Amino acid sequence: MSAPTTLGQRRAVASAPRRASDALAGLGPMVRLVLRRNRVRLAVWLVALVAMLAYIASYYQELFPTQEALDDFAAVSNTPGIKALTGLSPAADTLGGAVWTKGWMTIALALAIGVVFLTTRNGRADEEAGRTELLRSRMLGLHAHTVSSWLVLAALCLLVGAGVALVSAVEGLDPDGTGIAGSLVLGASVTGVGLFGLGVAAAAGQVASTARGANALGSVVIVGCYVLRMIGDLGSGALTWASPIGWGQRMEPFAGNRWWPFVLLVALTAALLAGALVVESRRDHGAGLVAARPGRGWAPRRLASPLGLGLRLQRGPIIGWTGAVVLAALLFGSVVEAMTDLVDDVGGEAGSFLRGAGVPALLAMLASMIALVTAIFAIQSAVSLRTDEASGIIEPQLAGGISRIRWAVQRLLIPVVGSAVLLVLGGALLGAVYGSTVDDPSQAGAMAGATLAYWPAVMVLVGLAVALFGWAPRIAVPVTWGVMVAMWFTTMLGEVFGLPEWLLDALPLAAVPYLPVEELSWTPLVLLTLVGGALTWAGLDRFSRRDIQPA
Amino acid sequence: MPTTSSMALQIEGLHKSFGPVHALRGLDLVVPTGQVTGFLGPNGAGKTTAIRVLLGLLKADAGTVTVLDGDPWTDAVRLHRRIAYVPGDVTLWPNLTGGEAIDILCRISGPLDPRRKQAMLERFELDPTKKARTYSKGNRQKVALVAALASDAELLLLDEPTSGLDPLMEAAFTESIREVKAQGRSVLLSSHIFAEVEKLADRVTIIREGATVESGTIAELRHLTRTQVTAVLDRGVDGLAGLPGVHDLTVVDRHVTFAVDESALPAALARVAELGPRSLVANPPSLEELFLRHYGDELAALAGDGGAR
Repeated sequence: MSAPTTLGQRRAVASAPRRASDALAGLGPMVRLVLRRNRVRLAVWLVALVAMLAYIASYYQELFPTQEALDDFAAVSNTPGIKALTGLSPAADTLGGAVWTKGWMTIALALAIGVVFLTTRNGRADEEAGRTELLRSRMLGLHAHTVSSWLVLAALCLLVGAGVALVSAVEGLDPDGTGIAGSLVLGASVTGVGLFGLGVAAAAGQVASTARGANALGSVVIVGCYVLRMIGDLGSGALTWASPIGWGQRMEPFAGNRWWPFVLLVALTAALLAGALVVESRRDHGAGLVAARPGRGWAPRRLASPLGLGLRLQRGPIIGWTGAVVLAALLFGSVVEAMTDLVDDVGGEAGSFLRGAGVPALLAMLASMIALVTAIFAIQSAVSLRTDEASGIIEPQLAGGISRIRWAVQRLLIPVVGSAVLLVLGGALLGAVYGSTVDDPSQAGAMAGATLAYWPAVMVLVGLAVALFGWAPRIAVPVTWGVMVAMWFTTMLGEVFGLPEWLLDALPLAAVPYLPVEELSWTPLVLLTLVGGALTWAGLDRFSRRDIQPA
Repeated sequence: MPTTSSMALQIEGLHKSFGPVHALRGLDLVVPTGQVTGFLGPNGAGKTTAIRVLLGLLKADAGTVTVLDGDPWTDAVRLHRRIAYVPGDVTLWPNLTGGEAIDILCRISGPLDPRRKQAMLERFELDPTKKARTYSKGNRQKVALVAALASDAELLLLDEPTSGLDPLMEAAFTESIREVKAQGRSVLLSSHIFAEVEKLADRVTIIREGATVESGTIAELRHLTRTQVTAVLDRGVDGLAGLPGVHDLTVVDRHVTFAVDESALPAALARVAELGPRSLVANPPSLEELFLRHYGDELAALAGDGGAR
């Protein structure tokens, strides 16, 4: 029997590290558990990302059979819009470079974000729900649960990278005489950005004490890195180096073929993972670095209404998305002026890719990005109708003296009014900051109008979420997000997939007049509003008649 | 490695704070080897926090904690081979079946005896082929119970293990714990159900606001309280109220109730016999009364000013 320790000794024992040999006990069963729980998700990510590259590669091979065609394409690709959205390959006049410009950013970013959500799902979410506690009451090492999901997700990153490299080599994307050097760098750059996502998510999962917090923190870091490199690519390129996504870009497959940024990415990932392990070994189970604080012991009267309660419960996302829109508008507004020369130089043909030329085209693109961020906020808020139903917290509210319709309508005021506020705020700030650099105060109003024009499109997305909530509650949340992601993919890659022009133009966000490049036309706005209203009505009507269905 | 000491589990002066909240303030608790210790306390008294410290999930701020002769924080993994745990609120993987969850939990701790698992599944009438998302609270609880009871753990840490179970399943649980005890294994049973603890426990520890307020065998604790006597007496209550050790005597018609200290019980009953009893009921103090005695001031405050303390 160990000698009883005194109070002082107990402290010393407690702060000593636990047996290192035990830390990974039970890793094998945990890896099997992670694979079992995520087999469909892992397969979908792997196949979708690799297939996307394969599709782009074979399509471009057909589209650009000669060097002249590739040269022409490189010329029209050299626009601020392309540079901002996807980055431009230094070897844009090769087949590999063209494919990189089209697909790399989408694939790498999708992998990083996917890895963030999968890491949280298998880490902090399990701990928050109490499943990890049950596992850790068994012979499971302190880090086994965490490390098992890291191993599986690192393997996913490697497999996606390997698949990308293989596809690239088979499709012959490498310029003649370079072997498959570029294909290998291409695969490694995708793997590297994915691993960076894993490092970010692992750290976020230790800092935040809730799954939602961990996902939000991880996504914000990834998106922040994307915006950093966007501004860097538009300017001198210095900020691109400040972003790990920029490191992946600067591996420059088919051009510079650099390997050392990959080492940087792996080193950064290793440092983030090591930091996460240190935090995990020191903290209590269930705790984050941010401790929970006691709140007040009573509720103000306004929380008794669905709207008041909804606002309170969504306070974090509302503040977060408002901050994101404000920050993006300020950043975007301040770079437009600096790019004016650049934009003027290009002009001409380049305009077609940006759906217009010069400053208006750039402003229109930035407005559409603010609309995209707003749409994500609105969807997140709208699907909370279903998540509240699934978790059962809807029941005590409906058991009180409130009708279903009143509950739902009040809750929908948040995405409906909130998105209008965010759009006007983002557009006005963008215009005001840009206007102040060119002494044109009217820009604030003009840009606020340009972004507000997206409101009907956002309402269609909200309406879709409500319709699914009413008619297909069990699949409403994934399908709503799936539609959003599919829209993003078709907007980025639509013409590659050979989708008809009318369909692309009919997508809610694309159907909006592209202000200030295009003329304001009311027909699509009225139509979108009617569609959004009809979908919402259909969903609410069904919800008022159907059973309440917890998950 | 068998347990060599007489205590399966021993906590002395345990302190644990979460930021400004001082959850445990000098908790003492023992489970002698081969015995069942009942762990009573109202919600928020710190029972679950104490069990999480025993599992090495939380780090003690101060105090001594010994589980099966080891330190639960540094030796967590080795100790867990010999420990089984049932939480009061079981969460499972929604897209896995109950049977899968049981196998995963058991496999981490080494090989599982399939016959024992089958026996437990039958005893608790659990369908292991259903997805966990379709389980009710009681069924999720059964998953954790089956996983724990199918093991040969030396020490069972049970945190309100029967919450959500129906009375039949509670009986199955009681039977299981009696078997565990008969095999010489030890149990810490945190519970709200006095009857359950009275049936199973050898010892009881009552905690309040993170500190132990009463601890001992049930017999020892009964010494501390009074027996409640109810009688119908033909010849009045002369001389009864004056006896030493008799308290709270009330008479309604010929119905007499009073409380009596254990030491004064023979004298009081002798006097009652002389008064021509038509009926006589003497209740030993229940665990519930013991428990309420320690929270009596809270009850009084609630009764006194409508709960607005």
